[in-house]
Amino acid sequence: MSDPRASLLFALADDELIMGHRLSEWTGWVPYIEEDLALSSIAQDEIAHARMLLDILSVIDGRDPDALALGRAPSEYRNAILCELPNTDFAFTLARHWLYDHADDVRLRSLQESSFKELREAVAVMLLEERYHLEHADAWFRRLADCPVEARHRFGEALAAAMGPAEALFEPLDDESAIVSAGIAPAYTEELHDEWRARIGGMLDEVGFDQVLASRAEPATGEMVPTSSGEIEASGEAEARTPSVGAGGRRGEHSEHFEPLWLEMTALYRAHPGARW
Amino acid sequence: MKTLTVDAVRDALRAVMDPEIPTASILDLGILHDVRLTGDRIEIDLLPTFAGCPALDLIREDVEEAARALAPDTDVVVRFINDPPWTTDRLNQEASAALKAYGISSPLLQIGRAQQITCPYCGSDQTVEESAFGPTPCRTIRYCNSCRNPFEGFKTKR
Repeated sequence: MSDPRASLLFALADDELIMGHRLSEWTGWVPYIEEDLALSSIAQDEIAHARMLLDILSVIDGRDPDALALGRAPSEYRNAILCELPNTDFAFTLARHWLYDHADDVRLRSLQESSFKELREAVAVMLLEERYHLEHADAWFRRLADCPVEARHRFGEALAAAMGPAEALFEPLDDESAIVSAGIAPAYTEELHDEWRARIGGMLDEVGFDQVLASRAEPATGEMVPTSSGEIEASGEAEARTPSVGAGGRRGEHSEHFEPLWLEMTALYRAHPGARW
Repeated sequence: MKTLTVDAVRDALRAVMDPEIPTASILDLGILHDVRLTGDRIEIDLLPTFAGCPALDLIREDVEEAARALAPDTDVVVRFINDPPWTTDRLNQEASAALKAYGISSPLLQIGRAQQITCPYCGSDQTVEESAFGPTPCRTIRYCNSCRNPFEGFKTKR
């Protein structure tokens, strides 16, 4: 029987690790230096947060943090598919960043009340740093929503494309009832999902992007299929507990984009086992 | 033989500087949290400023070295902990001068202390944030509207 704490930690750490890896791909490519530093710094923070969580997990799991981050097979990662999707363009990157960081904020705030001391302490540190990610994402959200036609249009399209997989950040975890009944997570992911939708719904309404959230994805419906990009398709089989398109990550069922990412992320670790800086 | 005291260890660690801000001691930055002498062991708890700070391992090594130099026959155990979380409220008065000497402005500090972020070059408080993200996780990029210089600010974390 696996430890329910591990199930929660794998999901949290893998989201941060994979988001951090994707964001790091922007380093050196962003159109101007301040934004290059911003996305690179956020990537650095996310990977550092993954390390904090994997340090805690390491005590439960027995493997060292590097082995947990880089030594697992692709099907052992529990990140949401949203995190592994290609950056695509700046609009999609910022749309995902905004949706993800609000979701992360909702769950971290909830975990401030966790019964799991080490996690609670790590979450307190993470929240102090995530505050800047959220401010960055919100600043871009308002800026792009206020833009003339093309930028606003592309950002709206990107939000719609990212929305389905973003909902799947709230797929139930393995052992979720055990996690909640032990107080490790004080709330079910479904409650966090509602809180997140209410929060982002209000902000989307304010800027006239309410159509992004227009339909609540129900099991096995295709309503959240993105408007333009073919890259946001469901990879897992639709089933009762699958809330939306782009689900499956919490069960280790990833999209076709995961393996290329994994190959690059783990290349050094696999080529030189046990290497140290 | 001189008896080892907590104060002696803290004094020795005052010489350990932040590798990325070489004018600032880890004591002034509030990174040193606790020193305990237990039997024949020195236990030192440090607080990471930012989780993604790449200097953390270097700081740990420098702290170990400084403690060993003080007491060569004593076991030294140095660890980073997350509780309490490090915040910029832990900076002391010396830290402001140390940061300024390196061209970095102080963060907003707790009530009753500096409330404006002043330019480290000309002292003006007519400064604005250009970006919350600078060359390291703990720094921001600011601009002084008086002397028209860009400068780095220590990021407020609280």
